[in-house]
Amino acid sequence: MHLERNLERALHRADPAPGLADRVLKRLEPAPPRQVRARRWQAVAAALVLVVLGGGWVARHEMERRAGERARDQALLALRIAGAKVRFAQEQVRGIGSHTNG
Amino acid sequence: MTAIIEAAGDPDETLRSAQRGDHDAFSRLIDEHEAMVFSIALHFFGDRDRADEIAQDVFVRLYRSLAAIESSSHLVFWLRQVTSRRCIDEKRRFRLRAVPLDEADARAVESPEPDLLLERRLRELVVELPDAQRIAITLRYQEDLDPAEICRILGIPLRTVKSHLYRALQALRKKLGDC
Repeated sequence: MHLERNLERALHRADPAPGLADRVLKRLEPAPPRQVRARRWQAVAAALVLVVLGGGWVARHEMERRAGERARDQALLALRIAGAKVRFAQEQVRGIGSHTNG
Repeated sequence: MTAIIEAAGDPDETLRSAQRGDHDAFSRLIDEHEAMVFSIALHFFGDRDRADEIAQDVFVRLYRSLAAIESSSHLVFWLRQVTSRRCIDEKRRFRLRAVPLDEADARAVESPEPDLLLERRLRELVVELPDAQRIAITLRYQEDLDPAEICRILGIPLRTVKSHLYRALQALRKKLGDC
């Protein structure tokens, strides 16, 4: 048996399925415009989401800051009122003391 | 019109046109060499779909390397080398099981000769050879290259190529004898 001759016949060149050049050229094409547009819209949507989320975070932070300021003002007012009442009571006590000594 | 016909007929001119960015010329280069590239991969993997993928990869890589190709004969050498290495790398990466041709695809390589069964059996046996022997046998008998040319393409010593060919033929003889 002529193995080498049979190998030459068995391993002869075969053609690929038609259109190999087209399949290769298709892989070399840049992304079609539709995909580019879709990606642009995705980027815009992502930016909008970021703006909304960021805005929400800023607004919430501002509300918390104002609530804190209100609470601080109320606490100061309460302290001032309590101080005035203490001073009034001290004056009353001092008045009673001077009457008793006199 | 004459210029177009001349360009189509002269492989070096087609190569130069492709290097200048002419997609039609590049397409002609693919048409001219696709059977060679596809068949090396087909005889290595025994699988037409995988061979088609490999051929596409090789031509995409060629497109990106066109500037480095010096002549049409260099192009043939480059395609054989890149296809052979791509096949071996692919095999190493995925550790594919060799698929017998009758399982893989009924559209096996057509042959003008009558002894279809023997040829088919031989292709199956080639796919079962170790990678280095398989690519050496494919380049030797599909591309009709001598061992010196195979050693340049594969970048291995001449003695190793001869050894691969000898062992592959011994294995094929033994397996055919066992049938």
